[in-house]
Formats: sequence, structure tokens, C-alpha cells
Amino acid sequence: MNNEQLQIFLDSHGADPARWPDAQRAAMEALLAHSAEARALHAAAQRLDALLSRAHDAEAADDETAAARVLSRLGSLPHQKRPFWRWPSVLLDWQFAPAWPRMAALASCAAIGFMVGLAGFDRTLEGYQSSLTVTNRGDIASVFEPEALTGANP
Amino acid sequence: MDDSDEALMARVARGDQPAFRALARRHLPAMVGLARRILGNAAEAEDVAQEAMLRVWTHAPRWQPLAAFKTWLTRVVVNLCLDRKRRAPWVELEAAGDIVDPAPAASELAEADERERLLQAAIANLPDRQRTAIVLTYTEGMSNAQVADILDTSVSAVETLLVRGKQNLRRALGSFIDENK
Repeated sequence: MNNEQLQIFLDSHGADPARWPDAQRAAMEALLAHSAEARALHAAAQRLDALLSRAHDAEAADDETAAARVLSRLGSLPHQKRPFWRWPSVLLDWQFAPAWPRMAALASCAAIGFMVGLAGFDRTLEGYQSSLTVTNRGDIASVFEPEALTGANP
Repeated sequence: MDDSDEALMARVARGDQPAFRALARRHLPAMVGLARRILGNAAEAEDVAQEAMLRVWTHAPRWQPLAAFKTWLTRVVVNLCLDRKRRAPWVELEAAGDIVDPAPAASELAEADERERLLQAAIANLPDRQRTAIVLTYTEGMSNAQVADILDTSVSAVETLLVRGKQNLRRALGSFIDENK
């Protein structure tokens, strides 16, 4: 393992041998025992690890206070979302609030369509259209039949 | 009474508010801290922690104990933080520069704070996923496999994030690392 590979290994797994993969730990420890360069890289990795481990420590004391503030803001809790296999409670708990106007419009359209169907307005229109029929199958056939004398197609 | 996270979640799923508050009291400080380290902003961290706990409450009836509760909650907080960073990037306070203090004695006294600020600025300037991998590894003490689970990626991807993150930190901090023996 060259220095570049060792640096990548130390950056990936840290300087603490306890975090190293079991399969590579023995080889790494042997390398550190024999190479001064490897030991220097390991020492630098230890310094960076130590720095990162204690980063933000100064503000950690404020987290308890912040957590208490968050907890006090969680006073009123919203409805819980039920799993779909409990569909009756899902329907009862469903929060339609933002969609109410659109749902009302859809329900109105459905109701109007139902009333039109029930009153039979659509049947009246069908009857009117059938009374306007001006031709029948025989007329159409005579138009497209070849001429009797010449046999030419129209 | 069993007061493990999973037992409390079972009670929360039935709408038990005291169980929810017990769970929140147990995990909120750590989650606020985690969010603060990833976001670099205490006020936003509180918002994220609150949103995460509300998700715990609303999703509790659907929650399946496939992973430890804390792992699931950490994943929720990390995803909320990364979403927030993606949606609304802001200029870091450190990047805006500081007003120079005219009193030299004051700067000498504040040297330790300045070094701490330099370190935090270097971490804050890392790309979001590199910073998250470093925070989860060094502050939360997670293994690379656990970090991969939280970030929903592979272990080798986490190793790449750590390698690149540390390369960036070394570039940003320079000799500051060696001064902190």
C-alpha cells in the first residue's frame, strides 16, 4: 500500500483501529509498525479526527434548552394518519380542508348529471336526433352501386 | 411498564399523547443537535426537530419497527435538513466576513473562539452530503454502514463522501490541524 492509498484508507475509516474493517486491520497495523511515513500519516489523521469529534461541542449545552422550546411548541397535535387497511377510520380522519371548494364543485357536477339522467332530458335529445334522419341504408346503397349500364363505380 | 422506544411508539400509534411527549423528551436534544450541526443554524434546527417530531406523531399508526426507532428518526431529521438546504440556500454568516475589532487585546482573548469558528466555518462550507457524512461519523459516532443506511446510499459512496470531505477540510484548515495537538 502506497501513501496515497493509506491516506484514502485513513480518510474512509478514520484513525481509530477499532473502526477499521477486520480484514484489513492486521495489515494496517503491520504497516504502521514498519513505516515511519505511515505513522506520520496516521498521526495527522488522528489530529483531524480529534478536531472533528469535538467540533460544535461548545453549543451542545444549548440543545437541551432548544429541545424544551420545541417540546412546548408541540402543544396541539394534528390528526394521525391511519394505515389504509383501516379504511373506515382513514375516511373519518381524512383531512379534506384544503380541497373543500374543488370537492364541492365535483359533487355539484355529479349531482347535476344525476338529475339530468333521472329527468330523462338526454332521451328527449336522442328522439329529436332520430327524427332528423334523412336517409336510410337503401339510399346509401344506391349511391355507391355501380351504374347498371356501364358498370362504372361512382 | 416497558418504556423502550418501540413500546412508546406502539402507544403513540394509538393516539397516546403522554407517550409521545416521553419519546420527544428522550430524543429531541440529540435531534436538535444533529440538525444544528448539519444546517449550521440553531433556529432552523429547532424547526426541523419540531417537524420531525410532528411526523413521528402523524405517521405513528403506519410505522413498522423494521429498524430501530432512533435510526428512523435520524433518517427523518437528516432528510429534512438536506431538503431544507436544497430548497433555500443561504449565505453563511462566516462567508459574509466579520467586522474588525479595533482592540488587539480582545482578539487575543478570543483566539480560542476564533479557532473554533474557523473549524465550524470549514465544516459549514462543505457540500451538504459531505458535511452530513462527517457529522454522522464523528459527532453521532456512527459506522460507515450506519451512515449509508441513514443517507440511503452504499458504504462505498459514504467512504467517497468522507474522503472528499476530509480533503476539503485539510485544504480549508491547513496548518490549523497541526496546531491542535
